Amino acid sequence: MNRSPNPSDLANPSDCLCHIESSELSPLPPPYEDFNRVTIPPLKPEKVKNIETSLDDTVAIGIPKPANREEEEVLVRQFLSGLKKLFEKENNWTFLQPLLLSMEHCAKCQTCSNACPVYEMSGKKDIHRPMFRAEVLRRIYNKYLKPGGKITAKFTGDIDLNWTTIARLAELSYRCTLCRRCATVCPIGVDNGLINHEIRKLFSQEMGIAPKEIHEKGTVQHLKVGSTTGMNPLAAKDSMEFIQEEMEEITGYKVEIPWDVEGADILLLHNAGEMLAWPENVGAFAIIFQAAGVSWTMSSEAAGYDAVNYGLWYDDVQFSRVAVKHADIARRLKVKKIVIGECGHAHKALTVIADRLLTGDLNVPRESAMVTLEEIVLSGKLQLDPRRNDFPVTLHDPCNIVRAMGIVEPQRRILRKIAPRFREMTPHGVENYCCGGGSGFAIMSGYNFAEWRTLVGSRKKFLQILNAFKNEPLETPKYVCAPCSNCKGSIRDIINYYQAEERSGLHYGGLVELIVNAMVEMKKPMINFGGEPSWKQD
Amino acid sequence: MGFYILTYLCIAVFVIAAGYRIYRQMTMPVHVRWEIYPVQHETAARAVYGGSYMEEADWWKKKQEKSLLNEALYMVPEILFIRGLWKENRSLWWVSFPFHFGLYLTIATFVLLLKHAGFTLWGSTAFASGSALRALLDGLIVLLGWGGLILGTIGSLGLLYRRLTDPELRNYSSPVDYFNLLFTLIFFFSALVSCLSGDPFLEGAKAYTFGLLTGGQSPSSYLPGQSLSGGVAIVTASFLVAYIPLTHMSHMFMKYFLYHDVKWDDAPNRRGGRIEAAVRKNLNLRPTWGAKHVGADGRKSWLDIASSTPKEVK
Repeated sequence: MNRSPNPSDLANPSDCLCHIESSELSPLPPPYEDFNRVTIPPLKPEKVKNIETSLDDTVAIGIPKPANREEEEVLVRQFLSGLKKLFEKENNWTFLQPLLLSMEHCAKCQTCSNACPVYEMSGKKDIHRPMFRAEVLRRIYNKYLKPGGKITAKFTGDIDLNWTTIARLAELSYRCTLCRRCATVCPIGVDNGLINHEIRKLFSQEMGIAPKEIHEKGTVQHLKVGSTTGMNPLAAKDSMEFIQEEMEEITGYKVEIPWDVEGADILLLHNAGEMLAWPENVGAFAIIFQAAGVSWTMSSEAAGYDAVNYGLWYDDVQFSRVAVKHADIARRLKVKKIVIGECGHAHKALTVIADRLLTGDLNVPRESAMVTLEEIVLSGKLQLDPRRNDFPVTLHDPCNIVRAMGIVEPQRRILRKIAPRFREMTPHGVENYCCGGGSGFAIMSGYNFAEWRTLVGSRKKFLQILNAFKNEPLETPKYVCAPCSNCKGSIRDIINYYQAEERSGLHYGGLVELIVNAMVEMKKPMINFGGEPSWKQD
Repeated sequence: MGFYILTYLCIAVFVIAAGYRIYRQMTMPVHVRWEIYPVQHETAARAVYGGSYMEEADWWKKKQEKSLLNEALYMVPEILFIRGLWKENRSLWWVSFPFHFGLYLTIATFVLLLKHAGFTLWGSTAFASGSALRALLDGLIVLLGWGGLILGTIGSLGLLYRRLTDPELRNYSSPVDYFNLLFTLIFFFSALVSCLSGDPFLEGAKAYTFGLLTGGQSPSSYLPGQSLSGGVAIVTASFLVAYIPLTHMSHMFMKYFLYHDVKWDDAPNRRGGRIEAAVRKNLNLRPTWGAKHVGADGRKSWLDIASSTPKEVK
């Protein structure tokens, strides 16, 4: 297809609705010009022969192709049934009002497109416009569910509904990171990110279609085993014991991690992925809380040691189940508040979204770790030497903590105190760009999706990071502070894929690691750059 | 009389349709929070960078401070001058601003025309011929009326041109999008022509508005319906009034809900409060989602389902 596809083209069968050439991707500066010749590697035919791949160059869900026409028709009917439910209060009281408002008032001015990093970095491909998928849903709704819709569709915008439309729309809903930058710039207040979220819900809650990483291995495993990592309570405790030992070895500071302490002031909830991928983050929290004399605990109960709630991205029912588990554990431990560690989506899930699900004594107060840490750091309870963090630092703003919760300054006040060479990205704060790993993308890597994410979804963030350090010599070690597990995962993948440690001296980590690195009590540095300690011992 | 009947009917449609839209929003079930920052009713210190009350330790122990002044300082330029578009989509602002501001001025002119008719009808002595009040009102009607019609014509013509020529807009436009703009353009243009062709002081509009309050009686022998352009202006204005609340153009007034009920709805759920009561009611609703992992059967409530573990994966 030579011309740009418009929403009605989603229904027209073709091998690939949208292909991206390497030359269409936004160019990277030196020393990364060689990556300007790289594009998304083709899908392996033997791996995708039975799944839907006709949207673009990648696959996020891997929806099996229907065996015959009858099966297709059943799926189309299921889709329409789910679409109807999105507009019923019994089924969708959670988002009915925001959905209706956004569906009914878009002026199609395209202001949202310029705000979207995926659209911009993809070479401005139409299918990545925030309003593209919203317009598809709007047209289907108007045509197939409104009285007289088949006649009015000729005037209001037509689209055919068939299996191709549905399969492509499902995939397309996983090309948006739900960063909601588009929503902040809409003059009317329309939220195309929200409509995308609702599309995902329709597929999951009515048709059982969702990426396995966030459903089967995600919320289902979380509820059944205790964690999306697959760790059961015993394994979680084991891993924390290991972290305790590691911390002493790394920093020379002995730390005890308290478990299931009834009546503690704080129940600390970590993304359990931290325990496996970034144990130093979990350990650093323990060191800070212990050194500051905080009354805190972790929970060893299933789901209580894993703050994630993947339901946030695709399924209100799964979301509610996980949120209720978290709150119930805190309630039974009789803690004064839950503090959510460095995990952005867990912040928004439990603090903001679950706020209107939890009633009575399940409504345990919830606080961001950014706030708790700020209170500790600025209180003077820790002896800090900022000279130990004498290297360039920039801060990534996780969308869920910053744009979705307005927690912007606490982490900055900490950094200004402990990182003398801190500098902002442009733009930053509530105008930040997503890391590219939002809405589950950081943990999705089937087929060639990880490559799509790094080449398209995360490209803007990579450019921002490079720009933040552009005045520093390439060989100087630099630290990207990303106080969110999924963002860290995404930034780790950027650094690895583009060989940015070797080429630009880029390193990454959380906020607590920087705090501990500056603590005078530490005998050895917590942060190392390629095996080199970040400060020298006396 | 036919014009008046049409206008009355169209006003009735407007009242019913706009009333229904507003009523529907006001009776929606409480939804989960989905605010996005900056939230402009935050205190000035925080609103400037998009911060929230959740930046404070133990925020639930404190009274949530809100600033109506901040909200007004943001909303007034947003509504009047479409500041968001100026910041984010400047090239479109040059045609969108005159369109919207033209509409606002035209609405303001209509309000002034109603006042003028009211004063004339219920004969305040302060409104006698040659009085300062009358001169002021006459002057404002001319100023705002002409301003509205000129800006509205330029804006609707500009928006129509952009939508026809800019592939970014054209690719997503349906026939009704062009119709809406053409419709508005015809109103502005016909009203402008009517004023240009011998009615620079909007005497026809004054007479017609007077007639609206009296069921067609008018002290003036000149009525806008006597000319083609005047007749077209009355018909299109009337239909436009009825049409706006039936379309996405209702964002003119529905924007209030988009901002206050979603984008800036940061009200926390406090134990024993109004929100909690509404949430409890919602949790008793019985979903019918079809995926097996949901486990809905039309009898179980949200509360039952949220407290359970899925039995099936898909």
